[in-house]
Amino acid sequence: MRDVIVYIEHTAGKPRRVSLECVSEAKEIAAALGGAVHAVVLGKGARAAAEVLAAYPVARIHLSEDADVDAFLLDPQIDYLEAVARGAGPSLVLVPNTMIGRDVGSRLAARLEAGLTSDIVAWSVADGVVACVSPKLGGLTITTCAFKSDYGVAAVRPNAFKAVTGAGGGEVVELEKPAGKTYLIRIEDEVVEAAGELGVEEASTVVSGGRGMGGPEPFKTILKDLAEAFGGAVGASRAAVDAGWISHGHQVGQTGKTIGPQLYFAVGISGAIQHKVGMRTAGTIVAINKDGTVPIGEFADLVVVGDLFQIVPELTKSVKEIAAAHS
Amino acid sequence: MKIVVPVKLVPDTSADKRIDPATKRLVRTGVETVLNPFDEYAIEAALQVKEKAGGEATVTIVTMAPESGKEVVRKALAMGADDAVLLSDAGCAGSDVWDTAFALAALIKKNGFDLVICGTQSTDAGTGELPGALAEYLGVPGLTYARTLELDGTTVRVERETDAGYLKISAPLPALVSVTKSINEPRYPSLKGIMGAKKKTIAALALADLALGRPIGGDGAKTELLALADPPVRGKARIVEAADGAEGARIIVEFLREKKLI
Repeated sequence: MRDVIVYIEHTAGKPRRVSLECVSEAKEIAAALGGAVHAVVLGKGARAAAEVLAAYPVARIHLSEDADVDAFLLDPQIDYLEAVARGAGPSLVLVPNTMIGRDVGSRLAARLEAGLTSDIVAWSVADGVVACVSPKLGGLTITTCAFKSDYGVAAVRPNAFKAVTGAGGGEVVELEKPAGKTYLIRIEDEVVEAAGELGVEEASTVVSGGRGMGGPEPFKTILKDLAEAFGGAVGASRAAVDAGWISHGHQVGQTGKTIGPQLYFAVGISGAIQHKVGMRTAGTIVAINKDGTVPIGEFADLVVVGDLFQIVPELTKSVKEIAAAHS
Repeated sequence: MKIVVPVKLVPDTSADKRIDPATKRLVRTGVETVLNPFDEYAIEAALQVKEKAGGEATVTIVTMAPESGKEVVRKALAMGADDAVLLSDAGCAGSDVWDTAFALAALIKKNGFDLVICGTQSTDAGTGELPGALAEYLGVPGLTYARTLELDGTTVRVERETDAGYLKISAPLPALVSVTKSINEPRYPSLKGIMGAKKKTIAALALADLALGRPIGGDGAKTELLALADPPVRGKARIVEAADGAEGARIIVEFLREKKLI
């Protein structure tokens, strides 16, 4: 492996932060391998995304605004990525560890007969071989896996690396449409329910609520307010999702998402093992609970025992005041 | 119509798992093996498609597991699946996602299929990468993260969950669909189902039966585990009582300042 290829996930031309984190880290990996950094950005808005990428250390930005990318699910993107990877020769492909990133990564790996490592938080290079570090089994163990294949695909955990701007050359290459392809998965409609909201996987601060919230309302009010004060996302325990208080996309834990934000608030969550495995690798964990003996005390950094309905709004107010004083 | 549901056997999800420091393997003693909870949604979705289709529709469970996994697979049959095929071979040991997808695809093709329905991820490895890789190896459209599933003649229609909402997507059969837990509420096996499952066929195949043409498992894996390490130890939590909201907020703000998080 020599070059590092980064799949850029973007929303209407705005690259997701995790993709910028990937590009920045790709520079370091490519330097260790003696190769170059490529970015691949596809679909409507690719050109606008390329302009953002120009401020980051990318040697080559491959783009296409092919209408098929937005008309058909994933497959056109895999074809473009495969073409860039084959063109670059044995290389490492970075995708974000998000719903779309995992979907892209798994298919591309199958095409390239590449090894796959997921949820990576660190890496090393020895004798030209890349090894990736990821928490496994819900943070029970930290594995280091080396690629044995010519190509490798790694899904990078959001917030594990910093997005750092820098010069890279930024040559823009227009991709040629792959010939002789027919696509079968038609995108008939897109329904946006939570425009502009960060997913729990990507947010650097996650405010999660559990059974102690007592109903759906606090998720839309006090928890959302606190999350917004941090520019973060609202999460939930299985109990809250199963009760129908918030949709499954917000669920953190064994049957939901495994996340590692810098800061995690567990509000009214007792901390059953199913929840713990989804968030215990978070940087700092703060629990707010009326009971000081709940299991979350065993893996949180701070447990504040009190009335969450009073504490959360006061905390939001304080955080906003601090933010205002700094701006 | 042949519906196939690939499943995985995983350690009981409510058990607190640990790694044996000597062998660096998951301690399985005293931990029950269960059907991956995500797969129950796939089985339920398959049964609902079958019930709507009526007639000749069948649901087959496939898995890569040792023969001792038969009894766990029987739960899927008790829910209402028609039969199961196990890929049991010592040569499968050490398989990664790639190997598993490759071998299962060969198994599914050998048995024939119109629609493959799988869970989104497993609760042990939890990479969520199998469905996409499996669709590639089967050479069929992969409609992942489905929160609804409808069959309209030979067209499958799903609502695909996204971070911001959902996409309405469709594709012709044969196809693969992976379902999220929003899609349904899996049924419990009835007593009749449990009794009936005892008579259903669970076939066991070996790797040689699939003629994969290349090794899988440890020899074919594309990644190599170099090291396992314990996660960084968290200090004991500071537990503080807050008399009111303002005090609670003050305690948290001070703590976050100390951690340089605000």
